[in-house]
Amino acid sequence: MLLRSISRRLLIGLIQLLGLTIAVFFLIRLLPADPVSRLVGMNASEQAYAQAQAQLGLDKPVLEQLALYLGLMPGTQPGLLQGSLGISWVTNSPVTSEIAAYLPVTLELITLAFLLAFVVAVPVGMLSALNPGGRADKGVFVYSLFAGSQPEFWWGLLFVYVFFFQLGVAPAPLGRLSPMTSPPEWVTGFILIDTLIAGQPAKFVEALHHLMMPVFTLGFVLSGPIIKMVRQNMVRALQSDFVLYANCVGLPRKRVARYALRAAMAPSMTLIGILYGFMLSGAVLVESVFSLGGIGQYAIRSVLAFDYPAIQGVVLVITAISLLVYLALDLIHAAIDPRIAH
Amino acid sequence: MNTPVNTPLSAPLIEVRDLQVTYRTDKVATRPVDGVSFAINPREVVGLIGDAGSGKSTTALALLGLARPPGRITGGQIRFDGRDLLTLPDTDLRDIRGRDIGIIVQNPRASLNPMLRVGRQIGFAYQAHNPATEAEARKQAVEMLRMVGINDPERRAEAFAHELSGGMAQRALIAMALSSRPKLLIADEPTSGLDVTIQAQFLDQMWQTVQETGSAILLITQELGVIANYCDRVLVLHDGRIVEDAPVRQFFDAPAHPYSQEVLGLRRSADAAAPVREGTAAPLVTLDALTKHFPLRGSDKVVQAVDKVTLTIGKGEAVGLVGESGSGKTTVGRCLLQLVPPTSGRIAFAGSDITALPPTEMRALREKMQIVFQDPFDSLNPRWTLAQILAEPLKIHAPASAAAHRTRAAEALRLVDLDPALLDRRPRGLGASTLQRVNIARALILNPEFVVLDEPTSVLAPRARTSLIGLLARLQAELGISFLFISHDLTTVRYLCQRVAVMYLGQIVEQGTVEQVFNNPRHPYSQALLSAHLFPDPTWRRVDHPVREALQGEIPSPIDVPKGCYLASRCPHAVDACRAVPQVLEPLADGRNLRCARVVKGEV
Repeated sequence: MLLRSISRRLLIGLIQLLGLTIAVFFLIRLLPADPVSRLVGMNASEQAYAQAQAQLGLDKPVLEQLALYLGLMPGTQPGLLQGSLGISWVTNSPVTSEIAAYLPVTLELITLAFLLAFVVAVPVGMLSALNPGGRADKGVFVYSLFAGSQPEFWWGLLFVYVFFFQLGVAPAPLGRLSPMTSPPEWVTGFILIDTLIAGQPAKFVEALHHLMMPVFTLGFVLSGPIIKMVRQNMVRALQSDFVLYANCVGLPRKRVARYALRAAMAPSMTLIGILYGFMLSGAVLVESVFSLGGIGQYAIRSVLAFDYPAIQGVVLVITAISLLVYLALDLIHAAIDPRIAH
Repeated sequence: MNTPVNTPLSAPLIEVRDLQVTYRTDKVATRPVDGVSFAINPREVVGLIGDAGSGKSTTALALLGLARPPGRITGGQIRFDGRDLLTLPDTDLRDIRGRDIGIIVQNPRASLNPMLRVGRQIGFAYQAHNPATEAEARKQAVEMLRMVGINDPERRAEAFAHELSGGMAQRALIAMALSSRPKLLIADEPTSGLDVTIQAQFLDQMWQTVQETGSAILLITQELGVIANYCDRVLVLHDGRIVEDAPVRQFFDAPAHPYSQEVLGLRRSADAAAPVREGTAAPLVTLDALTKHFPLRGSDKVVQAVDKVTLTIGKGEAVGLVGESGSGKTTVGRCLLQLVPPTSGRIAFAGSDITALPPTEMRALREKMQIVFQDPFDSLNPRWTLAQILAEPLKIHAPASAAAHRTRAAEALRLVDLDPALLDRRPRGLGASTLQRVNIARALILNPEFVVLDEPTSVLAPRARTSLIGLLARLQAELGISFLFISHDLTTVRYLCQRVAVMYLGQIVEQGTVEQVFNNPRHPYSQALLSAHLFPDPTWRRVDHPVREALQGEIPSPIDVPKGCYLASRCPHAVDACRAVPQVLEPLADGRNLRCARVVKGEV
């Protein structure tokens, strides 16, 4: 039953991805932009222009371009069906391998940031709901006043100033490792995993040290909405009939709090999922502050250069990850709340 | 078997003194419980009655030291076991809740944790007050579920709240409330929303359980029948105060407070002079083999909601249609007015067939036949003033100037005993009882000959119900309108109707005059329905004599109806022939119709 519903969701996800790919394919080409002249320059000869256009395949009819991209024309070049996202027009290297280089940076950063935010925000939100007007609740108010009203890059800069420049406990915001260290052999792209695979604990610690500030910054900003959501859902759960009844039968305070937390977590998971999908590209500001080349930066670069295959690749990958995250969260949601039928 | 109706002379189990609960919202403070004082003795069943909003449920919660936020208990004492609950520390109070005082609340399904299996929840409640391992708690939970009469408790313990029916959830709640054998059980409208046969079973069981465990009950209800049949003493709560505290017989014989007198008014006038009139010979509405099937989505099966119902309503006659929920009563009413098209059968109004009428003619005919729905809130447009609401049918059927319509609307309000000054009010803020009168006024404004009343009193508090029934009786007598009165409330039907039809699973099983059916029901289902009904008569209490004619099991599904008699699976008199042969409605010598071959042949 569970497996069937998962595979059904995955199948629907694939169809969604295909639809999105085709939509994005046409939408990009509707942009009032000329990627060829962007590549060859404004002063290029007509001949050079035509040559570049032919090289990019832009001289062919649009439907043929789509078929090529999808990999429906065997014997020409590998397409989506063959697992290729095409060749970047700017760098001439496969989009797949470029995304494989950029994506893990972002995934690592935001996954850790979400873990941090989750671990901090859920108990804080819960405490502030259990004792409205109490110390935790007041703290939350002050925090959300500040954290919520300032952009994350500003917090990043502030933390760099305090922890690197003033206190010296954080490393310089210059990437995932210090510039003097050679990176470990590329296996997964996740530096924490790769250093462990390579058996270099010193580098693992160094990578962790470098991740500390960006993760903290992002976690700091992300905690705000999560705390609010948990608090609000928890307050609502505490007023529900079943919590009242749990008090009526004299369950211990702790058990009642657990009842309410579980009821509050189910809807909060939805917000966390949406935030995660959003942060895949939304973490770009924090990544820039700490010189981490993430998928967001790759996306911006591609858009500015009209690098069609790269844009398509980024959209596709981010969507695919978001869909997987939503699926995972729906499964968690169903595990928390049995009323959610598969 | 007999419990002392008078209170025993011993120290009270719980004593409430000057209890106050205050709700404070934005500087406005209301006090739904304002100085309540009473006591309950051990082994006593005390009824608490009062209108909606009189503070009954708030009082119940306050007895546990709880108030729904933003309410607070702001004063008074609750002495229990020599201690004042309101000054106890939280942990001690939690020990008393559930262990010494159990509570069953309204809305049982919402009161169960939707995310935990029922058995586990009951186990938690048990573990909170008894040293028990997980396995012992589970065993106890299953045991409790069995005790409250749940079939297959092992399986039900694994269910989630949303998988249980309302009645089942109610039982699970009782199992939880009684798991630690409390000395006092507070039952807040424990049977609201249950069918009569189930309600009686259920109250019997609760009464039995409490007798066995030696507890006392505070039974909160709006049903006089429940009070009369199960309680030793009655408390009347009005405007946040106890206005009457009397033994049950004294309460029914000589109510002291004006509110109590009003609540009991119907019963007394019913005893004095029930409106007995002969149904005139001329039939106004005739149903001939009316059948309605609802197709099931994604299947070629159908829900058989109404099965060949044949019924006649004479001019000026009130016919009651009774039966449990799901028996098809409401569908009959709607088919009758062509609000849903019948699958087959014939409906005649004033002699002419209206089943095949073109839409325009049908619309013109609607002037003569109207309906009042169950929910007074949902059936009125909240954005319109009462004047607009009442004038709407006039605009369609009797065009005239706005001023003329307004005059008619004011008349209609006066007809239902409402102040015409309400014309410019909107439904918001007017009580259920007022709104239901507006619904009736709207139905009557076109001077119809026939009105379907679909459970018009079921959402009303006892006092409002009494006065609405009085109004309906008056209107019928004055205006000579024919009524089809659809209700599960047999007390009302008995008072208001001349003839009655009993429905079970889409079929009429018995039909006759009110006297025939109520005084001497012949069909086994009618017998069970009537014996389950709690008439407000404290001299013949259900708990004082053994009850016969109880039905076993549950109503069969209307999708796969039994081949033979629909009642056979639950009937105490069923023989093999009943299960094989479909029963037909046959006329008896005394004028009634009956769908039971064995009774007709005189075998039962």
